[in-house]
Amino acid sequence: MSPALWAEPIEALAPRIRGKTLSPVELTQACLDRIGQVDDRLLSFICLAPDALEQARRAEAEIARGDWRGPLHGIPLGIKDNYLTADMLTTAGTTAPGIAFPRRDAAAVTRLRRAGAVLIGKTRTHEFAWGNVTPPVRNPWALDRVPSGSSGGSGAAVAAGLCAAAMGSDTGGSIRMPAAACGVVGLKATFGRVTREGIVPHSWSLDHAGPLTRTVGDAALMMGALAGHDPADPACRDEPVPDYTAALGAPIAGLRIGVCRNHFFEDNQEDVQRAVEVAIADLAGQGATVADFTIPNLAYGLAAIFAIELASSTAYHDVSLRAGRVRHYTPDVRQLVELGRFVTGPDYLKAEQLRAVLMEDFRRALDRVDVIVGPTTPITAWKAGEWTARIGDRDESVLAASWRFTFPYNLTGLPAISIPCGFDRQGLPIGLQIAGRPFDEETVLRVAHAYERTHEWKDRAPAL
Amino acid sequence: MSEPAPLDLVRDVLGIDLPPEHLAENLAAFARILEEIRKLRTLDLTDIHPSIVFDPTAPYRREPRA
Repeated sequence: MSPALWAEPIEALAPRIRGKTLSPVELTQACLDRIGQVDDRLLSFICLAPDALEQARRAEAEIARGDWRGPLHGIPLGIKDNYLTADMLTTAGTTAPGIAFPRRDAAAVTRLRRAGAVLIGKTRTHEFAWGNVTPPVRNPWALDRVPSGSSGGSGAAVAAGLCAAAMGSDTGGSIRMPAAACGVVGLKATFGRVTREGIVPHSWSLDHAGPLTRTVGDAALMMGALAGHDPADPACRDEPVPDYTAALGAPIAGLRIGVCRNHFFEDNQEDVQRAVEVAIADLAGQGATVADFTIPNLAYGLAAIFAIELASSTAYHDVSLRAGRVRHYTPDVRQLVELGRFVTGPDYLKAEQLRAVLMEDFRRALDRVDVIVGPTTPITAWKAGEWTARIGDRDESVLAASWRFTFPYNLTGLPAISIPCGFDRQGLPIGLQIAGRPFDEETVLRVAHAYERTHEWKDRAPAL
Repeated sequence: MSEPAPLDLVRDVLGIDLPPEHLAENLAAFARILEEIRKLRTLDLTDIHPSIVFDPTAPYRREPRA
């Protein structure tokens, strides 16, 4: 029996749409039906596009007359609610009065529309993308657990088959953490690779935009539409855009896999540690060489990202702070926005100095290896309402633990992907993180795909 | 003229306008972050240029959005 339409990846759907054996209207309706069936339990979408079926009909008409725009044409996608959209309200997850965002498309949204995608709705974000829980969204693998965040709506929606892929944003791990928690693929490309124009800022030098998808191949297809220079984003770089799908399927024999043994392997839940070690052995089994190394300066990384993220967020919210609007934010986000006042100027600049040191440390490591592999998060999805997670024989704050392995790649701007690499004893997904050199998403995708195609994790779906 | 209380002065310097109990809550929350920042303060990074690099040509390179 063939899988339901909503369960299929873009790489399987796109050829059928192009060949006119699958109607974008039928596909979009299947996603809308699926949303109607399960999203009252997940709450992953904050709103649906009123014209989703009309978008699909337009796509179908264009394809029928021979104007196929590419692999995203007619594909239903979700957009995180911190991307501006012309046809849907943007809230950035806040209900605070006096805060409104323009009704226009973010540059990435424009690119997806140009690629012919059907933008089916907006997915929930933790308020102002400042958190790792994304209330009230629930994890499709266990409804009493969080999807992580801040792109938790996107992670839950993709995992549950409510859309073929969704956009996220990542300041300290907000694409990769929900990808890991929800058992999907999340790609944070190199800083400057994907435009952030029209995305509500969180921390200007840490924010990245990118997709959450069902497969690595789908991430490559999304990047084909998203990557490229945009002068409206001051950080966006004018670098050539390769065909990201070209690297898929290439063998990894001879590639050098780096494993940073400090920081990433010091304090993981047992099942996470085991799954990641097995994944590394699997990559070695495909002919890659594995080299261990350490980056001792990572011990200072948490201070650096806290200083930069808190100070930047406080600067962005300064007007709302002074106007007293932050009292209407959720208490956790209000406190984080207020805490930036305590970060001194010298602390901030020292964080930027440390960042330069870490960039150099990772450059030296990536002179010797092609990618760096490790866990995406030390813990699997935790129960909603709990603020600590069990690691070994002690409880650790989920706020501290959840982003420990993702934030180094926000500080350094390196491309990093999270892919599923198994499940823990409670049936919760585990994420494998693969990072690479700047603007070498191709090698990251190549290694990720080599792992994915030799495992069946992507074929598992949560029972909803 | 009387001197401002030390806590008032700190609030003024940091630009914080919060009731004392709320400020105390925030200070307690920041204590955990401060533990990390203290580690950073111990590093000698005198010879390291911050990762931010000032670029006076940036406004001249920007074009209107396509």
